Amino acid sequence: MKRVLVIVMLGLLVFSGLVLAQEKTKVVFWHAMSGTREALIQRMVDNFNLTHPGIEVVAEYKGSYRDTLNAAQAAAVAGNAPNVLHSFEVGTQQLLDMGIFALAQDVIDQYGVVIPWQDYLEPALNYYKIGGVQASFPWNSSNSILYYNKTLLDKAGVTMPREPTFEDIVAISRAVINAGVAEGGITWPMHSWFFEQWMAELGANLLNNDNGRSGYATEINLLDPAAVTIMNWWKQLYDEGLWINPGRESWSQARQNFTTQRVAMMISSTSDVNLTQNAAFDGGWEVGTAFMPVPLGFDRHGVVIGGGSLWLTKGHSDAEMKAAAEFVVYMSQVAQDITWHQSTGYFALRKTSLQALDLEGWYKLHPNYKTASDQLAESQISTATQGALSGVFPDIRTYIEDAAEEVYGGASVTDALTKAKGLIDQALVDYKELMGG
Amino acid sequence: MAGKKKMLDWYFWRPRLSTLSTHLVLFLAALFIASPIIFAVIKSTQSTAQISTYPPQFGIGSSMAENYKVAWQRYNLGRLMVNTFGVAISVMVGKTILSLLAALALVYFDFRFKGLIFIFILVTLMMPVPVRIVPLFKFVSSLGWGNTFWALTVPFLASATGTFLFRQHFMSIPTSLVDAARVDGVGPMRFLWQILLPMSMNTVGAMAVIEFVYLWNQYLWPLIIISSNKNQMIQMGVKQLTVSGPEGMVHWGISMAGVVITMLPPLIMFILLQEQFMRGFALTEEK
Amino acid sequence: MESKFPSRRLPLLILLPTLFVCGMFLYYPLAQSFSWSLLRAAFMGLRTLYVGTQNYVRLFTSSAYLHSMWISIVFAAGVVLLGLSISLGIALVANRKVRGARIYRTALIWPYALSPAVAGTIWLFLFNPTAGVVNFVLERTVGISPDWVTSRNLAILLVVTAAVWKNLGYNIVFFLAGLQNVPGQVIEAARIDGASAWRCFWKVTLPLLSPTAFFLLIMNMIYAFFGVFGLVDVLTKGGPANATNILIYNLYRDAFQHNKWGMASAQSVILFVMVVGFTLLQFRTTGRKVHYGG
Repeated sequence: MKRVLVIVMLGLLVFSGLVLAQEKTKVVFWHAMSGTREALIQRMVDNFNLTHPGIEVVAEYKGSYRDTLNAAQAAAVAGNAPNVLHSFEVGTQQLLDMGIFALAQDVIDQYGVVIPWQDYLEPALNYYKIGGVQASFPWNSSNSILYYNKTLLDKAGVTMPREPTFEDIVAISRAVINAGVAEGGITWPMHSWFFEQWMAELGANLLNNDNGRSGYATEINLLDPAAVTIMNWWKQLYDEGLWINPGRESWSQARQNFTTQRVAMMISSTSDVNLTQNAAFDGGWEVGTAFMPVPLGFDRHGVVIGGGSLWLTKGHSDAEMKAAAEFVVYMSQVAQDITWHQSTGYFALRKTSLQALDLEGWYKLHPNYKTASDQLAESQISTATQGALSGVFPDIRTYIEDAAEEVYGGASVTDALTKAKGLIDQALVDYKELMGG
Repeated sequence: MAGKKKMLDWYFWRPRLSTLSTHLVLFLAALFIASPIIFAVIKSTQSTAQISTYPPQFGIGSSMAENYKVAWQRYNLGRLMVNTFGVAISVMVGKTILSLLAALALVYFDFRFKGLIFIFILVTLMMPVPVRIVPLFKFVSSLGWGNTFWALTVPFLASATGTFLFRQHFMSIPTSLVDAARVDGVGPMRFLWQILLPMSMNTVGAMAVIEFVYLWNQYLWPLIIISSNKNQMIQMGVKQLTVSGPEGMVHWGISMAGVVITMLPPLIMFILLQEQFMRGFALTEEK
Repeated sequence: MESKFPSRRLPLLILLPTLFVCGMFLYYPLAQSFSWSLLRAAFMGLRTLYVGTQNYVRLFTSSAYLHSMWISIVFAAGVVLLGLSISLGIALVANRKVRGARIYRTALIWPYALSPAVAGTIWLFLFNPTAGVVNFVLERTVGISPDWVTSRNLAILLVVTAAVWKNLGYNIVFFLAGLQNVPGQVIEAARIDGASAWRCFWKVTLPLLSPTAFFLLIMNMIYAFFGVFGLVDVLTKGGPANATNILIYNLYRDAFQHNKWGMASAQSVILFVMVVGFTLLQFRTTGRKVHYGG
């Protein structure tokens, strides 16, 4: 009798243990932010788990944006996709076509969570709006800005205007090199993203069919005067030794070139503000920021949202979907928005955040953080600045970067762009056929 | 008289010069081959400041403990090595057993389609991972094995090389042994375990080295099939060594420390088993 | 070889695990590579479209793919020629009877145990323009300081060097074993007949080494085509401008970065045909050109 009792007690203990263990709804969150940002995300996640005892969010860094997207696809095939996926902006078309994600608006409607969209910066929302419906939750938004080493520019006797031109950059680079204060004038990662930003700035659609927004694109506008101008400028800077090549898609090497004062200027994402300011402080120099340079003779049209957004996958239990939605809501709250903005440089997405920081006078002390938002606020609304939508962005970026490398290697701009256009057009048409569009 | 003395000297010195030059060449060759590693080991002890100086410093640096500790922790090398050991041991044991059994069947039995089956196994030598990688990935994922231990082990359990080697080896063993065994009433499995296996330890040892090194160095397959960092294999840790760290750039001292840590296990395995390796594998013409 | 065990069932039973693994994880995916090569696919097979031989046509008319094939052949040639000649030279010296021969042999062979990724990491560091040592040595001796990773030709040279270095040990082991099988009396006989050391090597040693040499030729080719993936991924990622984009790397990129599973499968099939070609070549010529014993 005693033995039976003991067994029953043990059984109950185990059973209750299992029940308790299952009480927490698990939400798997995959993201592409490394280094200090990864630690920051972990702190935010820990805070969420503490304040939401029934939910356990597990955040995992999956590598680059490309790696994260690939991991998500593999997981989808294997049937264990994460609840929340952080994806870069150019993955949007692919994620839509994959069919495994729940549209943001649907999630909001179905699970009754509250997100005040009207408080958001419009361009950030618009990028991820498909056919008027919000598809994903904007999270880390950026655009590219110009960083410059005020100290070095002073030494060379030049100043940076708020809205520089290509010609300004050339002049400043030459001045800095001739004055012997730096090895090179400017650097930026050899990445197609900057090409895309400049296309928007010059008011040109990257792709046809309204930048892929009114239907699957079938052509890339690489022989457009804007595209040719951009590539010619890149070539000029390289040939004259004014631009230092940090390597293909090499954000860290570009940063290193700038923070070690090897170059006087850098074009990079606004998410590097925090990093560069710290480096400048350590190194005893001053960093300033300005808008993207534009060639003389072209109007300034504005920039495209970069960075990424959060997507929720379908096919989970209601409890999990609700928990995931709550997590996303939490990440979009003003407190988190401000923390994220101040610790990185990704801009504050919420108007409330901007107002709060303005009132505090924070932007007076940290003007570099405001540059990207200003640049965005002054952007015109058009399909060019809304950003291109395409399922073959990996190809587009590879071929554009190949073209740039060929141009640096001595090929003519027209040849390189024509070749890239041929390959990309075919990829676009193939994709459209495959999707049955 | 003077001429004779000269001749004596020449015949005295010639073989010694020859030996000396052999030693010299061998020493230089070994040094040449080892020099990148020596450089790596030296640099693994230096701090960033010491590495960034020009001209390069070749002395032992001051950051050895620091570098190795950071490398071990930042890249989670301990966990990765444990995972890889687990996979390596499992596959080694599995492969050896499967190959022994297959060779036993092919050599000591007669059955229909024996020749065809042997060819069926041998032909897989022409199927390295890359020629089937995409469907293999899909297939393994659809089994639900994505990101699991099974994905890293089961597809590698069969070995054409092992089957071939053991078969060759068994065929060189005197047939009188089998007759004796049958007379004594020893069954095939006991025969394998008690007689064949002890006689095949050279081949087992050679295969152990080959397989361990092969599994330790696996790169492409873990890259695509394992998605979570805690299940990953050691070479993926190596891949991270050249990606910039939290400082925003690559700390070569730490990277080299990671390299040294990573290469120790297969190296030790190789040194311990090198006799068997030389004997079991390298003799292509059996006497 | 008539002594066998009597059972007819047992052998099939114990062969089952091997056959099962071979069937499910080798033959079956290989067959699927063939069928998928006729498709255009996205999202890892979630979407497919039948396109017949279009993938093959596109590959063979694409300058990028043909370039990749060319680079692979050049790379393999470099690895084979440099690797085999250097290892043979070292093996010849290491074969002499000196004290400590065993230690020397271990010291020459052990880099074989390194992984391609480790070799790549070390050599990436060696060739780093600021922290590495190669440019320093070159500058002091020859006065040049080339940009290894952004120049196309130099990048190939870099990858070949690292790949050859890593495999020297493997080649030396087999050459040593092969040399030890060259009967001493044959060499002695040739010497007594008045042949010089060079002729001895050329007419006697080399022909007797030919099975080993041929085996190593095939193994090094397979290494150059398949085994160096980790090396390329760490060193150059196929760049710059696809200068080191060997076939296996192109396959990986198309499959797992561009998610073009149909195209990647076609490339797998082409690689398979090449492997079969190598292997058949080995079996054919082994019978004719290579000299055994006697």
